[in-house]
Formats: sequence, structure tokens, C-alpha cells
Amino acid sequence: MDSGTVLHALNLAYELATLALTTLGLAIVFGLLGVMNMAHGEFVMMGAYAAVTVQQWGLPLITAVPLAVVVCGGLGYAVERWLIRPLYARPFDTLLATWALAMLLRKLVEAIFGRGYRNVESALTQPTLILGSPYPVYRLALIVFTLAVMAGLFVWYRQSAAGLRVRAMTANPILAQALGIPTRRLASQAFVIGVVLAGLSGVLLAPLIRIEPGIGVDYLLDAFFVLVVGGLGTLGGLFGGVGIIGGAQAITSSIAGQTSGYAVVLMISIVFLWLKPDGLFSRR
Amino acid sequence: MSLTFTNIVCGYGDTLVVKGVSGQVQAGRALAIVGRNGVGKSTLLKGLAGLLPLAQGQLIWGGRDITGSALHTRVAQGMAYTPQDNVVFAELSVAENLWLHLDDRDADRYTELFEQFPLLARRQSQRSGSLSGGERKLLAFTRTLGLRPKLALLDEPTEGVQPENIDRMAHLIRQRKSTGASFLIVEQNLEFVSAFADDVIVLDHGEQVLQGALADLGRERIERHLVV
Amino acid sequence: MAFFRDAKPAAALAAVLAGLPWASNDFTTYQIALFLVYGMAAQGVALCWGRLGFLSLGHALFFGLGAYLSGGVLRAASNEALWYLLLPLAIAAPALLAYLIARVVFARSTRSGPYFSLITLALTILGFLAAQQWSGLTGGFNGMADIPELPGTSRYETLYWVIAACAVGSTLALSLLVARPIGVVWEAIAQNEDRLQLLGYATDRIKALAFAGSALLTSLAGALFAAHQGIVTPQAMGFVLSTELVIWAAVGGKASALGPLLGATIVGYASAELREQLPYWEAAVATLFIGVVLFLPDGVAGLMRRGQAPRRASAGQAKPVRRPFAPAASLALAEVQTGQSGVRILDGLSLGLQGPGIRCIIGPNGAGKTSMFNLITGRLPLLGGSVRLNGHDIGGQPAWRVARQGIGRKMQVPSVFPALSVRENLGLALWAGRAHGTDLLCLATLGWQTPLLTDILGQFQALSERLDNPAGNLAQGHRQALELAMTLLPEPGLVLLDEPCAGLSPAETHHMIQAIQSLVLRIGAAALLIEHDMSAVDALGGEVYVLHQGRLLEQGPLAQIQASSAVRAIYAGGRK
Repeated sequence: MDSGTVLHALNLAYELATLALTTLGLAIVFGLLGVMNMAHGEFVMMGAYAAVTVQQWGLPLITAVPLAVVVCGGLGYAVERWLIRPLYARPFDTLLATWALAMLLRKLVEAIFGRGYRNVESALTQPTLILGSPYPVYRLALIVFTLAVMAGLFVWYRQSAAGLRVRAMTANPILAQALGIPTRRLASQAFVIGVVLAGLSGVLLAPLIRIEPGIGVDYLLDAFFVLVVGGLGTLGGLFGGVGIIGGAQAITSSIAGQTSGYAVVLMISIVFLWLKPDGLFSRR
Repeated sequence: MSLTFTNIVCGYGDTLVVKGVSGQVQAGRALAIVGRNGVGKSTLLKGLAGLLPLAQGQLIWGGRDITGSALHTRVAQGMAYTPQDNVVFAELSVAENLWLHLDDRDADRYTELFEQFPLLARRQSQRSGSLSGGERKLLAFTRTLGLRPKLALLDEPTEGVQPENIDRMAHLIRQRKSTGASFLIVEQNLEFVSAFADDVIVLDHGEQVLQGALADLGRERIERHLVV
Repeated sequence: MAFFRDAKPAAALAAVLAGLPWASNDFTTYQIALFLVYGMAAQGVALCWGRLGFLSLGHALFFGLGAYLSGGVLRAASNEALWYLLLPLAIAAPALLAYLIARVVFARSTRSGPYFSLITLALTILGFLAAQQWSGLTGGFNGMADIPELPGTSRYETLYWVIAACAVGSTLALSLLVARPIGVVWEAIAQNEDRLQLLGYATDRIKALAFAGSALLTSLAGALFAAHQGIVTPQAMGFVLSTELVIWAAVGGKASALGPLLGATIVGYASAELREQLPYWEAAVATLFIGVVLFLPDGVAGLMRRGQAPRRASAGQAKPVRRPFAPAASLALAEVQTGQSGVRILDGLSLGLQGPGIRCIIGPNGAGKTSMFNLITGRLPLLGGSVRLNGHDIGGQPAWRVARQGIGRKMQVPSVFPALSVRENLGLALWAGRAHGTDLLCLATLGWQTPLLTDILGQFQALSERLDNPAGNLAQGHRQALELAMTLLPEPGLVLLDEPCAGLSPAETHHMIQAIQSLVLRIGAAALLIEHDMSAVDALGGEVYVLHQGRLLEQGPLAQIQASSAVRAIYAGGRK
């Protein structure tokens, strides 16, 4: 196998892994809970800035994890309680309110950190040799980590009733309550977990990307399109969506440039919204 | 444990549908709420279950005032409510419907029920949305009884159910009653109700027009209120 | 008269803008002109959001397209004057694109609003990327520079008057449109799009047209921008500008024609000055936006405008309008199957009727009565069998198309337009199927009458006494009457009434039944009525259909039904 192919394959794996990680949080918040959280990308962004912050403080990168958990978790709890909960039955108002929140978070981060690009250093970004080609260790680690997370998720989702309960209560909240499921508490927990996962993905990606306040929108749109195409509420949907959207974008971009890659993703999503609005693997 | 409700007034928004109904269900007894369509039976049950806020009235369960307590806390208190429609999670399988709200997988929970309703046992992996209306009602009934509640509030449990299964439902209710469980059932099917109900309340236009023991009132008198 | 009332905001604006150059210096005037341009773009956003209820998060796409296209035309025209002829096309092309996008997205369902917003956002980002990448066309990152002035104007002096005139013009046009029947239709879409479809309005096309119109306005603003600035960069197309347009529309007032201009000039201008000096300025603006969204949905303009005068045509313009449909339909359902989310609801239902008269449909809960109506009116998919109206197959058609063939539907829970007045609710029903071409743009249409309307108002005094009240404030009984009126006013050949007496007292029920009998007789329609109240069924007479578990169990006169043992069995004990 020549080094060019290996490199392409690894890059593709890296793109898919990144997409899977940054979409996971929205797969819970939108896929299970049904909330169109337009601030999803901003939580990813804040996770990345958590890494920037701990580096500024001279602390090891790993300390960004608890920082991101606290900030995203606390903010997520407050947002669910006061912004989202009153608007559960009104998807348009939820979209508007979370879009406004996204704007506020972007501007706050801009005000605190400035608009310029930041970088986070990590020793692990040094390359190592894979099948004769040099490739950054960190990226490899990310790919492996993502695979592990997805495998673990697969196992857990089958065993645990939590995901099932969230989906059930989104579809039929009255029945869920009648069966003793504490819907408010569960909704809050699901939302918080979703945004914390988004923040953690930002921490993980920090050493690999250019960090600036506006990066959230791209992650938001990609995540939404993955879920629209793949289907809401199922792991198969997440994997399928990542495969199609990520694959199409990576392949088209390498041939015809970033703009075309983006355009292809958009077209695929519009076609799905038009023909198969429930996505590929939704259980309907 | 017994349930006592006094002067229940509730409705939707400004419209009051139930206008002052009172009654009692003691342990091991069954109370049926009957009446024509649109008289407020379902609304009353929703108010008693905690789904609708009560404009007036009091609810006492096992000596404690539970007026205004949230719906999802009632299960832990021994009350189980089954709504009239959207009675199952359509996207989930029969088995998931039976187990997702439970923390343990005590297989004994459903043994007896599966014996009475083998079709549910056979179709455990089937999407419950693809069952017929009556089969979904049966699933909901099984699920509720599987909770082993001290008081079951059922809203038209036999709607669309096959007659043989209706008989089995009545049989199960009688059996549970003998172990001390109570039932508060909204129904239009008097035949079914007569098989196990001890007391009856007849509603008309949201008001209580007749109440008492079934044996005392007699079916004919009750039926007169159901026929126009 | 109405014209002058509606033109007030535009007149006030004209006065202010006319006085501005005298009151301030050239530079300020130049800057204000820029924000007037942005304000017009924001008016485009506000039209769709504030009136029709859908939000474009990427409207700068059309601004940028208009700017780039016009900039390119102006540059080419400096060499060859013939290019000027293309200027209108450069402004109109983005509107065509907008129409296509909206048609595709909205055709799917009435709940596409959030996805529409997402798609517009993605499109604007795509536009930004393309503008940067295709530098051959657009000048790339540095932008398209050296755009000459608009012919006959000078950038720092007379162009202001062109821009001011356009701003006054757009404000006037928006104010006039909103005051006319089309404005009522727009608001109805925002309040209850499903109901409007049931009346026969092709709401996805109406939304797409409105979106195209708003894109046209924004594109025009973009063209003015190109002439004003002399340079167009990708920022004119990006999501940052799109977001600012939304903020200005919200803060200024999305439900007013003038509001977005206020928002752009005040907030936009302030931001341009203060952005660099105060680091938390933008965060403060974002907080202001959240506050407006949550607590002050009509923005600053909403605060200023108290008690809007109701729309009213000139008095005494009763125009008898002809009936659009042929009377008395025939309906044939053959082995119909339908379901939703995998749940089978109708399972081989066959039912037929022909000719005028009222028939009743009864059956236990869950038998499929309302679902049958949902299927006929196109709200449930036809999974098997056929549905024929007057011999034509109507299976699988969208709700508005079915309604246009002469079917009126009254919903189980009375469905009206709550924030519109009773008069406007009735008007929408009256215009359905009758208003063509430019009728919806004429004030006279607001005053249309038919003999049937007079009859209905005579039978329901409560409605005629509350013509200017919002429909949402009506009591249950009056709302039932209003919805009945709206169902009958288009004079359809087939009328589907779903529990018209639900929630009514016995006296109201009696009155309602009498009204239904006389009105249906008057328009000569075939009517199907779902009822639980057997006394009502008895009073109506006519054929009775019994539904059970998604099929027809029996049909015949009420006496036969009541005597049937099969029917008794399904009500099992509860005799009816």
C-alpha cells in the first residue's frame, strides 16, 4: 500500500472521527430530546477555549476537561431550565432563542479572548510512522479514541434504558410521566450531558484546529446535516449520517475544493429533507 | 389504602368540564365512572391522576393529601394511570413498552398476564405502533397491571378490544381485587363494568347525577342515563 | 382615505430623510445612507419573520448576490453602456433563486420552518465560501473593487436621494401590502397554516412568493450598497451580516414596516461607532437581542405603536361574488387504508354517498372517524384503496389542492386564526376560491359580501356582534360557530363537520343543529357529520354510517342502526 493511499485513508478516518465526536452531543439533544439547539457549536467552541485557558494558566492540557465539564454543564443546566424548558412545544421559538444564545456566547468569547486565532500546543502532535508514512500521533489517538467511544456507546445504548426513556418521553411525555418517569429531570440531564459532550469534543480537538470564536457555526451545521440524513434517535443514524456527510465532504473537497464539498453536503441534506425527512435509520 | 376525592372541579383553560364530583375507592374495591361521550369522564380521571390541575377539590390517598402532586410521583405512591389514547410508545417494541419504565427485570411480573394474553408474549419484538387499536389497549392494560399498583386508574381500557380478551381483563381485575388492589375505571361498556364493579358514579354534563353501589342501583337505572 | 392612513409611516420617514442633509454634515449623511441600505435589507428579513412567521438566518446571501451582480454590471457598463439594461436582471436574479429554494423546502410540510432557517444559514455560508474562492468572478478575499457610480448620481451627494427614495418606497409598499387582504393571508399563515390550507390556499407558494419578494428588496439594497461603497467583499454575503440583519429587524420591530430601518440606523450605526471602543459592546447587543426575543417581540416599533386601526374597506362596497364550486358532490371511498408512524388506522374502509343532504358518522372512540376526514382532506397518506370526489381521484393530493376541489372541513377542536378579528377570519373563508389575480391586493376585497354570509351572521348573532374582536377571545360555542361559518362560506360541494356540537350546552347544540340544517340545505351541499350526541343525530335524520376499527360496520337510518345487534355488540352493553 503506498503512502499516498495510507495518508488519504487516515485523513478520511480523522475527518469522520471529528465529525462523529462533535455530532454526538447534538445527537442526544436533538436526536433524542428533540431540541434544536442552535448553540451546539458554541459549546464545542467553548471546550476548545477551555484548553486555551488552561494553557494560558500554565496547566497541563488534561485539566481542560474538568473546566469544560463545569462551564458547559453549568451553562447547560441554566439554559435548559430557563430558556429551553418554557419553549418545549415550540420548535421555532427554541431555534430563535438558542440562536440568540449562540450569538451571545460568541460575542462574550470575542470580548474576553479577542477575535484572533489561538493555538493549543500538545507534545502529541508530533508525527510518528504508520505503515511508512508520518502521521501526527494525536490524530491517530483521536481516531482510536473515537472508535472506542462509539463501541462503548453501542454497548451501553443497548443495555441502558436511559436513551430509550428519553426518546419515549419526547414522543409521549404524558405516558412517560404516567409510568413514573421524571420527565423534567431526565430532560435536564439529557441536555446537560449533550452539551458537556460537545464541550469535551472541543477540548479534544483543540490541539488540532485553529481556534477562534466563530468556529461553532460549521460544527452546528455539519452536526444537523448528519442527523437529518442519518436519522434521529438511533446509533445507526449517527454512524450512517457521519459516513455519508463526512465521506461526501471529504471526497468532494479533495477533488474540487472546500466550497464544492460544502455545496455537496448541503445538496444531499436538502434532498433528504425533501424525500426522506426521517433520515435513513430513524425508527419510524 | 383508599382514595377519597371531594368536590373535584377541573377543565381546560377557562372551560370547566367537571363541576364538583366526589367519591371514594377503598382497598379491594372497584369504582366505575360511566356516562355518555363528552360528559367529562376522561377529564375527571385526568384530574384525579394529576395530569390536569384541579380548580377546586381535594384528593386524599392513604390518609395523605396528594392534591396537586405531580403525575410522575404517583407511581411510587402506588397509583398507576393509563390514558385513553396514545397508550403505548408507538416507536418502541412490545417488550420495550413493558420494561422501559422498570428498573428490574423480574420475569415473574408478566407471567400470569402473558398466560391470559399470549398474543403479547408472541409479539414481543414487534413495533407496538403496528398493533391494532385494541391490541395496543391490551398492551397498556398488561403494562399497568404489571406495575402491581395499589390503585389503577384506567380510561376506557376495553375500547377496541376483542370480547374474549375483555372477559379475561375482567377476570384479572377480579383477581387483583381479591389481593387488595383497587380500581377506578372510566368506561362506556356496562357489560364489562358489571363483571367486577362495586360502586358506580354516573356523570352527565360534568355533574354527578347518580352514585352508589352497583347492586343497589341496578343496571337498568344506570342505562337510562346512557341512552338518549 | 385608507391610502393616506397607511402611508403615514412612509410620509414621516420621507420628512425626516428630506431634512437630514440640512441638519447634519455630508459625512453623517453618507453614513446614514449606508444604514438605510442595511435597513432595507432588514425589512426583507422582517417581512417573512414578522408577518409570515418564518425566519431567514442567511438573508445576506441575497444582499451579497445583488451587490456582486450589480457591481459587475456597473463595471462592465462603464465600458459598454448596453450593460445597464442588465441591471434590473441583476437585482431580480437573487429573487428567483429565493423562490426556488423556498418552494423546495416548504412544499414538504407546514412544519418546515426550523429546517428552512438552517438551510438559509448554510446557503449564506456557502455563498461566503464561494465569494472567497471564485476570485476570478468576485475578486476573492479582497472583493470586487472600483465599482463606478450609478449613472446620473454622485456617490457622496445625489446618491443619498436615490437611497432615501428607495427606503421611503419600500416602507410605503410594505405598509400598503400589509393593510390589504394579502396582509391578512400572511398573518393567517403565521397563526394557523393548516387551517389556511384547508380553505384551499396554496400556502407553500404564498410563502415562496413572499420570500422572493423579500429577497428582491434585499437584493435591491445590495445593488445600492455596491453603488454606495464602490466595493463589495465576501462579508456582504456572510452569516455575520445575516445575523446583524436579524438583530436589527428584531430590535427595531419585525412586525412594522419602519422598524427594521430604525433598528439598522440606531443599532447598526451605534455598533459601527462603538464596536472598537467598547469590548463588550457586541455582547451587550446580543443580550439586547435575547431580551427582545423573549420579552419584547415587536421591538421598539411595537412600543411606539399602540392600538393599530383595524383593516377596513370603504363602507358600502358589498359585491356579490359568484360561487366557485358545483353543488352536491359525490364521494366514494374504496378499501381505503391509512396509517401514521406505522400504526394502521383505517383498514379497508369503503363508503359512498351522492347528492345533497346531511349524513352522520358514528362509532366508538378510535374507530377512525376523524382519521377518515384527515384522509379525505389530504392530512393522512393513502396507503391503499382509492378516494374519489365527483369521480376524480383525489388520493394523495396535498390538503390545499383537495380543498380547492370543493371540500370544506371543520375540525374537532375549533381551528380559527386567533389573533385576527372575526371579520378577517370570515374574509379569509370568503376569498378562498373566489379571489384571483390581484384581488388580494385590492382594498375593495376586504368588503366582499355574499348572501350566505348575511344569512350566517343573521343566524349567529354572537358573531355579528363581535366582528372586530380577535377570534381567540371567543368562547367555545362562538368559536364553533365561527369555524362553521368559515367552512361553509366557500360554498363547497362536500362539507365535513367533526363534532360541531362539542362543548356546547343543550340549547347551543339545538341552535347549532338547526343552523347546520338550514345552511347546508341552502348551499345544496352533501355533508358528513361526526357526532356522539344521539339526540343530534336523531334531529338531523338522514343516513347514518357506523365505523368500527377502521372499517364501515353498517349504514342505514338511525332506527335501523339502533336496532342492529352488530352495532350493539361493538358498543357492547352501552346501548345507544
